[in-house]
Amino acid sequence: MFHWGRLLAVAVARRRFGRARRPGAGREALVGYGFVFLPMAVFVLFFIYPMLYAVYISRYNWGILGPLERVGWKNYTSLYHDTLFRRAIKNTLEYTVWVVPAQMALGLLMAVVVNQRIRFRTFFRGAFYFPSLASSAAITAIAIYLLNIDGLINKIFGLNIAWFYDTRTALPAITALNAWTTAGTMMLFYLAALQAIPTDVYEAAAIDGAGPWRTFWKVTFPLLKPGHFFVAVVSIIGAMKVFDQNYIVSKGTGGPDYSTYSIVLDIYNTAIKDAQLGLAAAMGVVLFVVIFVLTILQWAFFGRQEAA
Amino acid sequence: MASENEPIKPPPLAALDEFLAGEEVAVGSEVPAGIPGRATSERVQKIIAYIALTLIAALFFVPFLWSLSTSLKPLPETANFSLLPHTWTLAGYREVWTKFDFARYMGNSALLAGTITFSSVFLASLGGYAFARLRFPGRNILFFLVLGTLMIPDQLRLVPIYRMLTFFPVTHWNLVDTYQGYWAIKMVSASALFLMRQYFLTIPRDLEEAAKLDGAGFFKTFWRVMLPLAGPALAAVAILEFQGTWNDFFWANLILQSPPHWTVQVGVAQFSFQYGTLWNDLMAATMIALAPVVIVYLFFQRYFVAGVASAGVKG
Repeated sequence: MFHWGRLLAVAVARRRFGRARRPGAGREALVGYGFVFLPMAVFVLFFIYPMLYAVYISRYNWGILGPLERVGWKNYTSLYHDTLFRRAIKNTLEYTVWVVPAQMALGLLMAVVVNQRIRFRTFFRGAFYFPSLASSAAITAIAIYLLNIDGLINKIFGLNIAWFYDTRTALPAITALNAWTTAGTMMLFYLAALQAIPTDVYEAAAIDGAGPWRTFWKVTFPLLKPGHFFVAVVSIIGAMKVFDQNYIVSKGTGGPDYSTYSIVLDIYNTAIKDAQLGLAAAMGVVLFVVIFVLTILQWAFFGRQEAA
Repeated sequence: MASENEPIKPPPLAALDEFLAGEEVAVGSEVPAGIPGRATSERVQKIIAYIALTLIAALFFVPFLWSLSTSLKPLPETANFSLLPHTWTLAGYREVWTKFDFARYMGNSALLAGTITFSSVFLASLGGYAFARLRFPGRNILFFLVLGTLMIPDQLRLVPIYRMLTFFPVTHWNLVDTYQGYWAIKMVSASALFLMRQYFLTIPRDLEEAAKLDGAGFFKTFWRVMLPLAGPALAAVAILEFQGTWNDFFWANLILQSPPHWTVQVGVAQFSFQYGTLWNDLMAATMIALAPVVIVYLFFQRYFVAGVASAGVKG
């Protein structure tokens, strides 16, 4: 992780105590610009510019062919009264509240397990990470198959539920699916955090006669605090962006009855299906602000740590 | 150039080592058994732990194995709940490959993932080298911009990028539903450049100095001295970019709209929309969409771990 404050300090210091000109510096500078030109062009054109452009678009009533009229902040105020957007926020928050603890608990459990001195730990680590590699489309297709009314899950548990067609179960099913597939990534973050804990604390705990259960709750868990925070923020940011699974299980509608309609799905449908680019851009800006605040929080707490 | 007879070893990739550290633990070293009954109780404990582990691993693998098995069944048999097919058949694969055009989607995915992996590795290493080693005015400001792009979520870019691609600035091209549009936004990523820069910073300077004394230019130094030393980082970036592009649904679904341009991920989603209950075909399509990344993972597992650790911030 990089630290903005320190980079800034370095930049300022460089300027103040700048080196004397060396021979060949001009040529080196030219080559430097040449080397970074293409990547910088991509970043400016497709990242920096779109960010500003999104704010610009959001201040217009903007149709498929271009800007229709300047409406100021009206898109933002109308979002506040937009029942569908509110529904999307409610769904996304509900999803986040469940998926984040599930991912964290599962990720931590797996990390602790593969951090033990056991045989085949490389195999188990690989196996636990496996669902995290699969593409969202493939994993969602598998979920659709397993959770269909004649599917394996119903068969095993003797149920008769059309999971993705029932307003009560569609979002929880997506939650479970994503907890399962993302836990492997969380496991890797937790592993890094676990390996940063010095072994002598464990030795001290062992000398004090603490068993494995007690050692975990009294020593490991509290010492993982920075790890918990990091994983939580990464997990929350990821959850706020949920889209692919909701789109695929509902054929893009967010159904049944908008029960899987997420914020990003609303952005997508408003922009692409309804061609209301101004309104969709405003939603994107709102989501960005939320994510930005979370990112800043993360950096404020993790600035000094180089971990992950 | 450095002397020929002593082999130059690339410096280790920091994140990689972090994960590999502790790997060589003396596995299975026995706890001295002095207390009566302790050995058996520990053995029991261990057996329980392994059973738990195996169950979790099974929980993670069963859905994949079940899907794999279904993809090898004829359609009527998908209604049965037998783990293995009674009649093994590749009919599902044949059907999606020819009748449902997955050959084309796989071709598109391979083309896009291949070219983007290549361009991203090249541009990220070029830029990463410049930011790590070359001195030019404004370098820190530009590097700030690179880091800044890491904070801009794709979901904010959706609307402006879509608008830009339908009506490109200045040239007024319509790049929606073209490979060019996809290439343009995916050509290189900030996390790849960041990873390369961090790696180049760990390579000792004396090798370059030697090359410079031999009169090698900047590009030659980069190409002949630095790149060959950056093997592990290049591999990590290549794998990260390949997996990211191959698995991408968000941008592929947005930009590549017509069937001839679909990637295999869009193909799988569309197939499930239209032929939802042809389970053997759907699972066959899913398996071929998964296969390349799984194969790469089996061979280069360690680089996946390194890539996630270094660039996992991407979200």
